[in-house]
Amino acid sequence: MDFNGMEIGHSLLDIGYSIMTKKTAPPASGSKLVAILDIGARAIRCDVAELHPGGGATILESLQKAVSLGKDTFGEGRIDPASIEACVEILKGFRHVLDEYGIAQPEQIRAVATSSVREAQNRDAFLDRITVGAGINVEVLEDSEVEHLIYLALDDLLEHEPALRRGDVLAVEAGGGSTRVLLLRDGYVVYSGAFRLGALRMRESLGLEQTPAERVCEVLDAHIHRTVNQMRELIPAGAAPVFVALAGDTETALRSLVPGWKTAETARIPIPASHLAESVVRTPTDELIRRHHLPPQEAETAGQALLTFDRIARSFGAREILMTARSMRRGLLLKMTGIPSALARYGEQLAHSARELGRKYRFDEKHAVHVSVLSLRLFRELQPEHGLGPYEEGLLRTAALLHDIGSFVNIGSHHKHSMYLIGNSEIFGLPRRDLNIVALLARYHRRAMPQRSHPEYLALDRESRLTVSKLAAILRVADALDRSHLQHVRHLQCEREGRNFAITVTDLDDVTLERAALRDKADLFEGIFGYPVVLRTAASQKGAMFHE
Amino acid sequence: MNNQAATNFFNRELSWLAFNERVLEEAQDVSNPPLERLKFLAITASNLDEFFMVRVGGLQSLVEQGSQEPDPAGLSPAAQLKAVSERAHAFAEAQDACFGAIAACLAEAGLQRLVMADLTPQQSLYVEHVFDHEIFPLITPRAAPSANELPLLPGLAICLAVRLRGAATGPRGRRTLRTALLPLPRAVSRFVTIETEKGARYVLVEDVVRAFAARIFPGETVIESATLRITRNADMIVREDLAGDLLSQMKRVLDQRRESACVRLQLDDDASPALRRFLMQALRVPESEIYSTTAPLALDGFFPLAMLPGFNLLRDKPWDPQPPPLARAGEAIFATIARQDLLLAHPYDSFDPVLRLVSEAADDPDVLAIKQILYRTSRNSPVVAALARAAERGKNVTAVVELKARFDEERNIEWAHALEQAGVQVVYGIKGLKTHAKLCLVIRREASGIRRYMHFGTGNYNELTARLYTDISLLTANADLAADASLFFNTITGYAQPARYRKLAAAPLTLRERLLELIDGEIQRVGQGQPARIQAKLNSLVDPGLIEALYAASQAGVRVDLNVRGVCCLRPGVPGLSENIRVVSIVDRFLEHSRILCVEHGGDQQWFISSADWMPRNLDRRIELLAPVEDPACRQRLRFLMDACLGDTVKGRCLQADGRYTRAYDPAVEPRRAQETLWHDAVTQARASEESEKGNFQPIRPSNGKRSSP
Repeated sequence: MDFNGMEIGHSLLDIGYSIMTKKTAPPASGSKLVAILDIGARAIRCDVAELHPGGGATILESLQKAVSLGKDTFGEGRIDPASIEACVEILKGFRHVLDEYGIAQPEQIRAVATSSVREAQNRDAFLDRITVGAGINVEVLEDSEVEHLIYLALDDLLEHEPALRRGDVLAVEAGGGSTRVLLLRDGYVVYSGAFRLGALRMRESLGLEQTPAERVCEVLDAHIHRTVNQMRELIPAGAAPVFVALAGDTETALRSLVPGWKTAETARIPIPASHLAESVVRTPTDELIRRHHLPPQEAETAGQALLTFDRIARSFGAREILMTARSMRRGLLLKMTGIPSALARYGEQLAHSARELGRKYRFDEKHAVHVSVLSLRLFRELQPEHGLGPYEEGLLRTAALLHDIGSFVNIGSHHKHSMYLIGNSEIFGLPRRDLNIVALLARYHRRAMPQRSHPEYLALDRESRLTVSKLAAILRVADALDRSHLQHVRHLQCEREGRNFAITVTDLDDVTLERAALRDKADLFEGIFGYPVVLRTAASQKGAMFHE
Repeated sequence: MNNQAATNFFNRELSWLAFNERVLEEAQDVSNPPLERLKFLAITASNLDEFFMVRVGGLQSLVEQGSQEPDPAGLSPAAQLKAVSERAHAFAEAQDACFGAIAACLAEAGLQRLVMADLTPQQSLYVEHVFDHEIFPLITPRAAPSANELPLLPGLAICLAVRLRGAATGPRGRRTLRTALLPLPRAVSRFVTIETEKGARYVLVEDVVRAFAARIFPGETVIESATLRITRNADMIVREDLAGDLLSQMKRVLDQRRESACVRLQLDDDASPALRRFLMQALRVPESEIYSTTAPLALDGFFPLAMLPGFNLLRDKPWDPQPPPLARAGEAIFATIARQDLLLAHPYDSFDPVLRLVSEAADDPDVLAIKQILYRTSRNSPVVAALARAAERGKNVTAVVELKARFDEERNIEWAHALEQAGVQVVYGIKGLKTHAKLCLVIRREASGIRRYMHFGTGNYNELTARLYTDISLLTANADLAADASLFFNTITGYAQPARYRKLAAAPLTLRERLLELIDGEIQRVGQGQPARIQAKLNSLVDPGLIEALYAASQAGVRVDLNVRGVCCLRPGVPGLSENIRVVSIVDRFLEHSRILCVEHGGDQQWFISSADWMPRNLDRRIELLAPVEDPACRQRLRFLMDACLGDTVKGRCLQADGRYTRAYDPAVEPRRAQETLWHDAVTQARASEESEKGNFQPIRPSNGKRSSP
């Protein structure tokens, strides 16, 4: 018996030991560790960050390794198998570093790729190989998503430089494949777009390797000039905007090359910055690498990025260039931290974009805004039922603002016109997938309910279809409440009474019109939330109480 | 160093020999106790062995390749070799004389060397017994049929050359003559102790073997016997660029080292001309490479005698490492470092906190990962054991094991295998670069989030040398340094490209640049009328580029105070060149080893510690680190240490413009001895802390399971 006891005791000890030692880290105490991987045209970068419970993040490590995806995709149209394997090896190495921090759960790792993967013919093969080889699921971002992330990073810059919230800010990122431009007016994005002017593209297509050093600037200038003219036509910037240069994937190089920027948050280069830009462009790459210890992939293109900044800034009449390291990765990190104030500003940005679009189609702004207010009121009331978050709230708000824009085409079937107008527009901050959701919400604000015979609806995944149904149900009720388009229904109380969802209007005595509208439009609400909607006035409620 | 052209630089090899001469001075100094003197003598011998293997070997290789390229001092390899040989012969004679003097002192004190003739019949019988049973079975004589067919002799081992006349007669009726060589077995102690009533006496094993050599060659007559010792060229470069498997290449280097050319023959003074001729021909050594000696060979073999238990009156009173006041016993080292940076000055301060960092990290459940560079570490290293333990407990452990640590390769290969088996990710450094930086990084998850703890050092993770070498340790949890340390390891392990560090500078990319910037910064400041000064403590100052920069600083009016223990190619105190530069060298009981830099920075002094000497190889072909010391208390400690080292008037020697070193003794002031001052300071602080702890009762509570012991 003693022997048995010892055996048991021993094995218990073993278990205790393995719990104590093998599963090393105790559960996170508030802070959360995440990794952000960015598979770019010239390098894969990885930030290991710690998200603090009160918002904010600390970058613990920044890793970077060169790849040639841009060269492959922009040159050959597809990613070379050797490059794919190189990526797998690099990502395995990064995984090793992540393991050291115990970062292993999928929700802790956000890996994104941009144009060099998106435009590759063999992108699916690439993504599959990365998943199998390195255990990392890579999300391919569209231009609009990248721009949105850059906006988040810029918004963070504006938090640190509040003066930039007034007037025009022209933010430019000179990437390998394209140049992105965002125009912010009083802190809101009023223009965003990408131009096919990329440092790597120029290098490949202009044959810079063979161009004599003294002619390089001239060749580049001719090329940049064409795009800059295009920008002047498209971008509605006022005179002398503040010019913000996003160093992006040439950050390491530019920190060495731009005076006073080694460790500082931002650097200011007076315009013209041509002297700096041109001298870098003329210096042979090898010398840049040797003299400044630049990563080779950045040394190749840093000069062209600087030149691009200088030429755009000058043509828009900017007085100086404000260099920042805030990048898409920073935007991703901010998105993961979910700082409430930033989320709120994002919601405002989205509403701002939506109203801009609405004005373009001469919408009834008062009605639109009112329906959006009523929608949000109902959305918050129904939180326990729908369980959706602030992002979906933004989608609903956008749809509420835009639900009637189809009337610009024709009042008849205007919900369908709204759908395709929204679906074919750009709303800054909304990725395409979610633009479709907003378009469908507008479509379902009246008449037919969501059904599988609608191809746009069918194209969504199950979760998104459910989101559409929930939000459309709310939008229909909100629209019904402003049937008069006169914003009569302002104050209301909501209660769940037995089977019913009772809306009591406190500042209106006659809700006949609205009640009639609800009869048509509350069907989806009942179908989804299980409550018939009952509309009454405060007076009638008092009366009812009196009767009892 | 008078025998070289007066350029702006001293020759490196001659400067090194001057260093060894300073060590020999300590052996000659009658104010040192005899066993300490014996230890210094043994050090000069072991230093010289390495010097011949590597430096002289290197020069010989250059001469053989026909190189005429002069060094910065203007000497061709052949001229250097000649100068080195002359000075080394004089040095060997001085060693001989010094041994005689020390042996006489020791004999007087009762520690006496006996030769066979001194023995009583009873003692002889005992020695004979020892030979028959303990030595003879281990001896393998190797015949040398002719001078062209010499058996392979082990480098640095004492051998006996025995000339023999055979019993049989040759074709012309003469009896055959032959020479046999017997390496003394390494497994046998060098000293055969003779029991006496008072004191301890010993016979050297080579004397015993010589006495009984005839028994090894029955039927032959021993004409003569003499001891000899050869040193082989070890200037071997691992061609990492050729093959992938560094481990097997290192093994091959070790094999080659056994067979490479002889660069020095040390030979018993009484060897006959015939034997001498035979050996010269057999080993292909010219007269200039033969060192005849009257003292026993391999004086480094006298270390064990110097360490013999007892005889404490013949030694210095020990200066034991003191517990650093800030590293409280009973408190987790992480808590200590989290509270404040910790700067340790070894060996005055104990190395324990550094060992505790690795060891507590291995056992701490909150530690996620440990990364460590291992260069030269001790046998049964607790650091290696802790890393293996950590890996077995599921932590992520990365060890950068540098195989190319000279003469330690064999030992390093062992660690590498042992660690890999325990699950440690072992990295053998970077192609073409020796990893010489000393860094340990511990990643720990705490209530407030991730915190990283680091140890930056100037010395190796070797708790034995940490008692003998003066080194600096910086223990810190600074977030910027942590990001740099992570990047540093990611670069070495190949996970990331090199990028800009926030605070560190690292060879081979940015260290030289940073040092030049710092020197240049002082030149700029002195030009603007700001206070400017450079103080550096190094083992070696060789790099021409940095020396030129220091000359420029001197010429601009910057005060430059250097504490350079060993080689210094900078010529100080030359008007118009270096009159503002002063060089002090300390040779004392501990080996000066720390590298510290301080620049005045306009009054806001900047302090750094580094793993690197200012030599081209360290700055261009090694992975080295320079870390800032920012904590005010830590800086103050460095200030105290630097002042002590630059102001040593007892063991300090000042380098003169002609290359001579003269004692810094100054009759006008109270004698100041840096190592003594620093030790007393450590003791005072430890005592003060002990006193203050007395009133602080610490109840012993049951363990809360946080700190499990292995």
